[in-house]
Amino acid sequence: MLSRVVLSAAATAAPSLKNAAFLGPGVLQATRTFHTGQPHLVPVPPLPEYGGKVRYGLIPEEFFQFLYPKTGPYVLGTGLILYALSKEIYVISAETFTALSVLGVMVYGIKKYGPFVADFADKLNEQKLAQLEEAKQASIQHIQNAIDTEKSQQALVQKRHYLFDVQRNNIAMALEVTYRERLYRVYKEVKNRLDYHISVQNMMRRKEQEHMINWVEKHVVQSISTQQEKETIAKCIADLKLLAKKAQAQPVM
Amino acid sequence: MNENLFASFIAPTILGLPAAVLIILFPPLLIPTSKYLINNRLTTTQQWLIKLTSKQMMTMHNTKGRTWSLMLVSLIIFIATTNLLGLLPHSFTPTTQLSMNLAMAIPLWAGTVIMGFRSKIKNALAHFLPQGTPTPLIPMLVIIETISLLIQPMALAVRLTANITAGHLLMHLIGSATLAMSTINLPSTLIIFTILILLTILEIAVALIQAYVFTLLVSLYLHDNT
Repeated sequence: MLSRVVLSAAATAAPSLKNAAFLGPGVLQATRTFHTGQPHLVPVPPLPEYGGKVRYGLIPEEFFQFLYPKTGPYVLGTGLILYALSKEIYVISAETFTALSVLGVMVYGIKKYGPFVADFADKLNEQKLAQLEEAKQASIQHIQNAIDTEKSQQALVQKRHYLFDVQRNNIAMALEVTYRERLYRVYKEVKNRLDYHISVQNMMRRKEQEHMINWVEKHVVQSISTQQEKETIAKCIADLKLLAKKAQAQPVM
Repeated sequence: MNENLFASFIAPTILGLPAAVLIILFPPLLIPTSKYLINNRLTTTQQWLIKLTSKQMMTMHNTKGRTWSLMLVSLIIFIATTNLLGLLPHSFTPTTQLSMNLAMAIPLWAGTVIMGFRSKIKNALAHFLPQGTPTPLIPMLVIIETISLLIQPMALAVRLTANITAGHLLMHLIGSATLAMSTINLPSTLIIFTILILLTILEIAVALIQAYVFTLLVSLYLHDNT
């Protein structure tokens, strides 16, 4: 930034340089070198998962470990507190009771609701992770489904010849059926024609027979003379009377 | 004793330099930012709380009002943390100083009013007259509404100052009462100590509520003016 100030000051001092001042920042950026050193923190080191251990929420464990070879930390603490109280370095005032009550309420709250809040925070984090996990699983499942569909399609392609055989059989059957139908029709037509001829023959024969019978009857009737006719009729009447008497006698019984 | 009572409200100085600046700048150190998705428990709970409060507060505003969301959320976090930190023994609460509360209230309130007057001047002026007032009362009512508008920043600042200061004073007084009674009569000391504990719980609630009320009112003024 100061370099820009220098450049603008130089521009005002020498007006001929004013046009060059436009190039100034670009030249500056070109001359500045980036990414020269060794890249450190690559990859970024992971954060520790749990914080350092503390006792009483305030004093790290390392403090206790540091003191143990030399002196007991609790004795040191008690000694310091008693020293401060007795020499009135720490004065018991109204503030002391306020402090006691505030710290007491805080400790009570932390002891009682601490695990609850911790579980809640863990649950929130777990929900986030579960969401991402679910997205990943859904994607994997989707791809797996696609793979399975593809495999089944490939398997189906192997069995395609069944389809073709069935189609071939169908077509052969249809052709056979059509052939037989037409054969039957041909048979029927031929029979029709032959029946016609037969019936024509029968009719002719019947007609000839009838004609012959009629001719014979006519000639027979013509040959019967009238004398013969009368004799025949008289005989018939006598026969009928006889029969009538016989018939009348039967039912009386 | 009088000098001791108000001693905790003097703006602290270190060798003549104001330490109040350091004290005001301290609370953000307790709110870690993180660029990771999964954080430690502190960051997770704080992020969840901030999300909750911001959603709760900003739903009632329109798009123009929501441009204030950063301001309002940082306001409520600042006031809540400074109030709660002031409950610790021998600590200084910046919000007990009227100067600081005025410095917070006047610009925010003036901002909302000026925004209202710039964008929708008729609506902003209409706030001066409630609906359905009988005609003879109108001039008086306009004056009253103007006064009530102009008193809003004062009320915001003085409300916060008075509540927090009164709470601290009460705690101090009852603490000194227990101190005095501890040499005279022990059972009454215990009673007074119980009162102190209850008062502490109240103070914690008041600390949070005052932050909430301050921010809520500013957001209300914003809602009127957007």
